[in-house]
Amino acid sequence: MTYFNFPHIEEDDNLKNLRNDVKSFLKTTFNSNNIKPQADAWMYSANPEFSKKLGEKGWLGMSFPKKYGGREKTMLERYVITEELLVAGAPVAAHWIADRQSGSQIIRYGTEEQKKEIIPKISSGECFFAIGMSEPDSGSDLASVKTFAKKTTDGWELTGRKIWSTGAHLSHYMIVLARTEKLDEKNRHSGLSQFLVNLKLPGVEINPIEDMTHQKHFNETVFNNVKLGKDALLGEEGLGWQQVVGELALERSGPERFLSHYILLDNFISEFRYKMSEMGITSLGKIISELQTLRMMSFSIAWMIQEKKSPDVQAAFVKEAGNVFEKKLIETIREMSNLIPFEEWSSSLKSLFQDATLRIPANSLRGGTSEIMRGIISKQLGLR
Amino acid sequence: MKDEVKIILDICDKILLKNVDHHLRLNLEPNSTQFKTLKDEIISSELTKLLVKEDLGGAGMTLNDIIPIVHLSAQYGTPVPFIETIISNFLLSELNIKPENDFITLTNKTENIIIKKDKISGNFKSIPYLNLAEKILVETEINNQKYIILFKKGGKFKLQKNFLSEPKFDLDASDLEIISMMEKPEQIDVQNLLINIRSIQSFGAMEKILKLCIEYCSQRKQFGRTLSKFQMIQNHISEIALEVAASGASLSTLKNNNKNFYNLKSTAIPKIRTGIASGKVIALSHQVHGAMGFTKEYELSYFTKALNSWRNEFGNEIYWQNILGKLFLNQNKNLWEFLNH
Repeated sequence: MTYFNFPHIEEDDNLKNLRNDVKSFLKTTFNSNNIKPQADAWMYSANPEFSKKLGEKGWLGMSFPKKYGGREKTMLERYVITEELLVAGAPVAAHWIADRQSGSQIIRYGTEEQKKEIIPKISSGECFFAIGMSEPDSGSDLASVKTFAKKTTDGWELTGRKIWSTGAHLSHYMIVLARTEKLDEKNRHSGLSQFLVNLKLPGVEINPIEDMTHQKHFNETVFNNVKLGKDALLGEEGLGWQQVVGELALERSGPERFLSHYILLDNFISEFRYKMSEMGITSLGKIISELQTLRMMSFSIAWMIQEKKSPDVQAAFVKEAGNVFEKKLIETIREMSNLIPFEEWSSSLKSLFQDATLRIPANSLRGGTSEIMRGIISKQLGLR
Repeated sequence: MKDEVKIILDICDKILLKNVDHHLRLNLEPNSTQFKTLKDEIISSELTKLLVKEDLGGAGMTLNDIIPIVHLSAQYGTPVPFIETIISNFLLSELNIKPENDFITLTNKTENIIIKKDKISGNFKSIPYLNLAEKILVETEINNQKYIILFKKGGKFKLQKNFLSEPKFDLDASDLEIISMMEKPEQIDVQNLLINIRSIQSFGAMEKILKLCIEYCSQRKQFGRTLSKFQMIQNHISEIALEVAASGASLSTLKNNNKNFYNLKSTAIPKIRTGIASGKVIALSHQVHGAMGFTKEYELSYFTKALNSWRNEFGNEIYWQNILGKLFLNQNKNLWEFLNH
C-alpha cells in the first residue's frame, strides 16, 4: 500500500551532458549580453531577446512534435533545462507560461490550424502567453468564473475580466477559461470552455496592478465584447474544467515552486561559507535534505507527465511542499547568518534577501493557494 | 519493480497479513504459538535469505530490491527480528559465509571486546529483539581493524528503557561461542546501512499511520458528522500525507546504486527528511486520534513509538543536518554541484 508514489527516475549521462551545455550557454550569454541574475526570475525578469536565444538553441517547446516546430525531446530533458535556468536566475519570464503550460494545452486540445499557427512561435521564443483563470470574484473557486463567451454566427463574443494575469502586458495570447453555459449550481464544473484569445484584438484592455514590491508584473485583463472566431475555441465546448485541471498539474509541479529564490541561498553560501556558525551549518544541512527531496519529487512528476500519467495530486504535493520550503528559506538564511550581522552583508545579497522577503508571501497564493492544495490532497484521500 | 520482487512482496504480504496483529505486538513471548508460527513461516519461506548470494543458497537480490519488503514489514509493524535477520545474512553473505536458518539480531554498539579461543566477551548495546533471536551479529573494532562477528546468544541481557515498540537490550557477554569472524570489507559501512534501513522503515510506519488516521476519522462521528468532514482534520491529515510523500521521495537517493546505502550523503538526506517528517506525523496523528490514540489497545501508539525510537537512533536529524552541512562545505563545490554529484 503506497498512497502517493513518486517513482525513482535516474538522471542519465545524456541529461548530465545537457545540464553542462545549458550552464556553458548561460555563462556565455550572461557575459556577452550583460544579463544580471535575478531571483524569482520566472515572474519578474522578462527578456524577449533571451527567450529567442533559448528558442534558437532548441530549448523551448522541447516536448512538442517536430511537425509543429517542436523538438520531440523528453519532459526530463525539459526539466533539466528548466532547473538550470532557475538556479542561474535567467530572465525567462517572457516565455515561461507559454513553454510550461499553454503550448502543452494547445498540443493536447488544439486543432491542426491552432497547432501549426502557434506552436512554432512558442518553440522559437517569439510567442508569449498569460493565464486566464482567476477573476475578481473567482480566486480559489475557479468554477465560479463569470467571464462569458456567447456563441455568435461568426464565432464567439467574450465578455468579462481576468485578474492576476502575470505578464499579460508582454504576451501575445491568453488561454481564457470562460462560461459557455449559465452556471448550474448542481453541476458547477460543466458549461465551461477554454479559448485562445489574441491579446491584440479590439476590446481587450490590459491594466497593470502594482504589487507590494512596487513592480507591475501582473495585470487585470478586461474583455469588452471581444469578437472571437470559431477557431478560438480550444478543445471541446463545455469541457473546459477537465482541460484546466490538467493545465494546473503542469503549472504546479515544476521546480520553480522551490527554486525561485535559489540564487539567494547560493549567494549567501558563496559570501559566508567560511563564517557560518555550527547552528548555521546545521540549518544548511536541513535545507539541502529538503531541497534534494523536492527535486526528486518534481523530477518524478516530469517523468509521469512524459508517460501520459495524470499526476494532479502529486503536483499539489510539490506545489505545497515547495511553498513551505521557500517560506522557510528566509528563516533558514536568518539562522545561517546568526553570527553575521546584516550590516556585513554585501549590498547585492541584502537586495536579494529583501526582495525574497517581500515576494515570498505570493508563493503560497499563485498557482493555487496552500488551502486549495491541501483540499486536493484531502479529496484524493477520500476525506471529502 | 522487478517481477521477482513483486512475487516476493506478495509472499511476504500473505505471511504478515496472516500472522501479525496488535495482539502479537502486545503479547510477544518467545514461547507463544503465534510467535513460533510467524517465525517458522518467515524462516521456511527463505525470506531471510533474499540478499544472500545465489551460490550460498540465497535469492541474490540487491539492497535496492528489498526496499519495498522493508517498507511492507514496517507497515505491518512486524514485531520480530525479520529485517535484522535479512541484513545479518546479507553481511554474512558478503563475507562468503553461509546464511543462518534462525533469527539473528545485530548491533554495532560494542565496548570492551575480548576475543579468546573462539569465544567473545564484552558489552553490547541497543540490540533489537535480542529476546527473540538465537544469534547475534556485531560489527566491532579490535586493534584498529573492524570485524564482523557472529556468535550464539547467551549471558545476561536487560531491556533498555526506550520507546518500547521495538524492545532493545544491552548484553554483558562472557565467553560466548563465536560462529564466524571476518575482517569487515572496506566498502561496507554497517552503520550507514542500518540507518538507511531505519529510514525505509520510518517511511513504512508513517504510511501505516496515515492509513490509521484516514480510517479512524472516516468512521468516528462528533457533532453529527464524521471527523473527516472537519476542515481542520483534513488539514492535519493532508499535512501527514505531505510528510509521508516527501519521506518516500527522499529514499530516491538510495536507488541509483546499491553502494549508496553506504554513502554518507545518500544516507544523510533520507535520515534527515524522514526524521523531520516523523516528528510532524507523530504529533498530528495523535491530535487527530484524540484520546483513543493514547491507549495501549489501539495500534497507533505502537507505530508512533517506533518512529520516536528510530528517529533518535544513530544521532537524530539535527545531528545529521550538521554532518550534511559540513560534508558540503568541506567539498569546496558550489551547492548546485554538490546536489548534482
